[in-house]
Amino acid sequence: MKLFSEGHFLKGVAVIALSGMLLSVAGCGKTSSPTATAPVANQEAKIGVISFLSGGGAAYGEAIKQGLDMAKEELNAKNKIKINLLYEDSRGEKTDAINAANKLVNKDSVVGIIGPTLSGEMFAVGPIVNGAGVPIMGTSTTAEGITDIGEFVFRNALPESVAIPSAVKKAVDKYKLKTVALMYSNNNDFAVSGYKTFEKAVKDSGLQIVATETFADKDTDFSAQLTKIASLKPDAVMVSSLYQEAALVLKKARELGIKVPFVGGNGFNSPQLMKIAGTAAEGALVASPWFPAKDDANVKKFVEAYKAKYNKVPDQFAAQAYDALYIMSAALDKSGSATDRKKLRDSLAGIKDFQGVTGKFAFDAQRNPVMEATVLLVKDGQFTEFK
Amino acid sequence: MFWQQLVNGLTLGSTYSLIALGYTLIMGVLNIVNMAHGEIFMFGAFVGLLLVTHLKVNIFVAMLGAALTGAILGIILERVALRPLRRKAVSHLAPLISTIGVSIFLESVALKLFGPQSRDFPSSFTAAFEFGPMRISLVQIFILAVSFSLMLVLRFWLAKTKIGKALRATAENIETANLLGVNTNKIIVLTVSLASALGSVAGVLVGLSFNAVEPTMGITMGLKGLAVLILGGMGNITGAMLGGLILGIAEVFSVAYGNSSYRDAVAFGMIIVILFIRPQGLFGSRDQQGGK
Amino acid sequence: MLNSLLNPYYLQIGMFVLINAILGISIYLTLATGQLSLGNAGFMSIGAYSSALLTIKLGLPVYLAIPTGGMASVLIALIIGFPALRLNGLYLAIATLGFGEVVRVIFLNLKITNGALGISGIPSLNVLTGNVLSALGLGDGFGGLSLQQISNCAVLLILFVILVLLLFFTRRLGFSRVGRAFAAIKADETAAQAMGINTTYFKILAFILGAFIAGVAGGLSAHLTFYIGPKDFDYHRTVEIFIFAVFGGSNLVWGPILGALLLTLLPEFLRAASDYRMMIYGAILVAMMAFRPLGLISEETVRFWRTKLGRRSSK
Repeated sequence: MKLFSEGHFLKGVAVIALSGMLLSVAGCGKTSSPTATAPVANQEAKIGVISFLSGGGAAYGEAIKQGLDMAKEELNAKNKIKINLLYEDSRGEKTDAINAANKLVNKDSVVGIIGPTLSGEMFAVGPIVNGAGVPIMGTSTTAEGITDIGEFVFRNALPESVAIPSAVKKAVDKYKLKTVALMYSNNNDFAVSGYKTFEKAVKDSGLQIVATETFADKDTDFSAQLTKIASLKPDAVMVSSLYQEAALVLKKARELGIKVPFVGGNGFNSPQLMKIAGTAAEGALVASPWFPAKDDANVKKFVEAYKAKYNKVPDQFAAQAYDALYIMSAALDKSGSATDRKKLRDSLAGIKDFQGVTGKFAFDAQRNPVMEATVLLVKDGQFTEFK
Repeated sequence: MFWQQLVNGLTLGSTYSLIALGYTLIMGVLNIVNMAHGEIFMFGAFVGLLLVTHLKVNIFVAMLGAALTGAILGIILERVALRPLRRKAVSHLAPLISTIGVSIFLESVALKLFGPQSRDFPSSFTAAFEFGPMRISLVQIFILAVSFSLMLVLRFWLAKTKIGKALRATAENIETANLLGVNTNKIIVLTVSLASALGSVAGVLVGLSFNAVEPTMGITMGLKGLAVLILGGMGNITGAMLGGLILGIAEVFSVAYGNSSYRDAVAFGMIIVILFIRPQGLFGSRDQQGGK
Repeated sequence: MLNSLLNPYYLQIGMFVLINAILGISIYLTLATGQLSLGNAGFMSIGAYSSALLTIKLGLPVYLAIPTGGMASVLIALIIGFPALRLNGLYLAIATLGFGEVVRVIFLNLKITNGALGISGIPSLNVLTGNVLSALGLGDGFGGLSLQQISNCAVLLILFVILVLLLFFTRRLGFSRVGRAFAAIKADETAAQAMGINTTYFKILAFILGAFIAGVAGGLSAHLTFYIGPKDFDYHRTVEIFIFAVFGGSNLVWGPILGALLLTLLPEFLRAASDYRMMIYGAILVAMMAFRPLGLISEETVRFWRTKLGRRSSK
């Protein structure tokens, strides 16, 4: 009896191992050889995109995809090196992002990757892609330490350590602030990182923090936190969160009679903020590299084309993705190869004086963007430049 | 600030009670935790919202529409996920599992149908009153009134009417009730659709009160409702009502006088403690059955 | 052929399959006593965070940190196990679901776990085995395979050995006095008690074993993915682990393992349909309960195939 059961056990192990192997062999049929050399003329560069295309944050992934698609069409109409975008969905989950990255790097043999959408995903994907020697560029990964992962990791998302202090400084100068309350979404890595930058900027400006309140993504009830803040009467409230919660916070705050200025992190930087919050968004401040109403030929052209195609004003996710593909393409042209990953990395690192829709752009030695932020003020339901 | 926070707590709590009533009804009669209740609540909110924004109907008509949708969803839920299990002798955990299945199914359907963004009701329902230091909105008063009257109506209905008695008999023992001539299948369908209709109306009210309707609200609010179900004692209607208010106040006060970042742990922290010291819940008796 | 078969993409998926299979065993063990614990993601996160922090902050070697993470889960399981297991089925399910949420909120707020930002730069098993292999003189690869491929294979092998050991242990346990006590409690707790089985002891034992294995799986996954955050261990993760057992079957240990294998590979084959993954999971749960409440594999399936195959071979 005992002997039999042991045998059965081993048989089971063998079956599992075998079926695993069979399944992976079955998947192998489609594998393309990774060392295929493309002919010099009519080169096609395969660029992988890892984006949050389904699930709770699909709105961000969608905007990124639209920005990239538009850039691709424009580029392929004129450039020699044609671009082929391969999209993979990360669902905002790190294991999916890892699988997507491995697939793009090892099976699809892309020359470079754009994405992923979330900083947390980048922390998981970055080391793998960097280890494989493939350049990867985040378009919306704003958290600190992203490019410390390795020298193949780039981003064209303006880190909040640049954006937030400039917004705080302008607000302090203009409104003569003395006390502030801070609010942030504590289960969102992007918002927490923004909060830390706010805290530092506020302390550096010598302001007094009267309250620090948190909430969670997808929360809808902010009355307890805001009632507390209202009773402390700060001169301004600084909020770090995504636009959905930001808009609801603004709405509730105005309802409770908090009339002071609100300064937001990158999450405020979306037309959706005004759409959801309505008049409650008036007077909100945010620093952003992207300003759709900017008096600039490039920007106007982009906004027009985007509006014609998708019937809405592009947000910063779309704008930064659009610029990212242009930067990638410029680097590809300069390297002269559609398949050499190392050459692409080197020419990316050398990008400077690039004129994109988000302004003049260059990578610094840490592969972070060097760009300027405009401080925007919500006025009459529109972002206007705050002077 | 204390009084305003108390009002905030009561409003939040009354929404919890409203959700918990649906859980309790099903628990009391069928002895099942309906994990899909939160998602039915969310669907109700969306139906109400769509009716108000697209067909421009009156808010009460919208609630009626939501209630109807909820009842239909409830009937489907009973057909698909509960009835097949009753015929077989399966583990008592099977209904829990299959309603979890329905809940994630509905949540992802809603994500596909309505998109992940939160939407809001036209802001014509935000009238508010000031009472000294307190500020309370019309919707908040309405929610409090609806949940209290629902509680009373349900209690009366269960205790005095013929259907109510049949319901309690079914809750006591399905086989015996069947023998005594109660059409138990009908009673069960009635219970599930009633609870789901209640849940849908709750969805509209909560959507109105917080001005946000989005697909994951089912799971957040559903988990809170679940906590209230245990807090108040499984299947105890008064318990659900008071348990909801207690939880709402506890959460708000944890923000007002404690640390807002632990707010989401309050609900489950409380039920873990309750389960250990008083497993039958705050208001339950040891052999609680039948929605008394 | 071998080279393309050992594509890091497939190897990585193989690793996730094995981790999920280990998680499948952990949920099987608690289910073996008829208890439904929805706290596995919580225990997984305790193991993952402990192991990650021990290696980063204290420099503990990975092979010590992972079992220590498992022990940390055991410790917490002991504390909540005694009161929780006095509760019956439904209450336990909800209490453990609550436990998972509370753990998540605590990790969100602790300074040492870096809140929502999570912990990045966790020493990776791949890199570590790569270093060992280079020290052995395989730094330039071997037989046409790159170092990355060899180290990935080595990690895969390590995970496979761990899985086989756990399987072996679980099977032996099943045939022992303990396993029979588990089965008796599952069949009828009151009757088991009447027969003199210390039901609380055995229920806690099963709970703790499940927690240990979940903790180890958490530690392993932390060292495979470089980064962990509280979001990785939420309610959806619990449901995902739980569905391995429901889909594959929870009466035999092969059930959750088969469930883990199928449900980890399937999404990769259907990447385009990933939008519908949760919808499909939901439908699977409902359909399984209605048509095959015991899961794909149960004792009957095994008996059926055994007689069928036996008949064919005798012909």
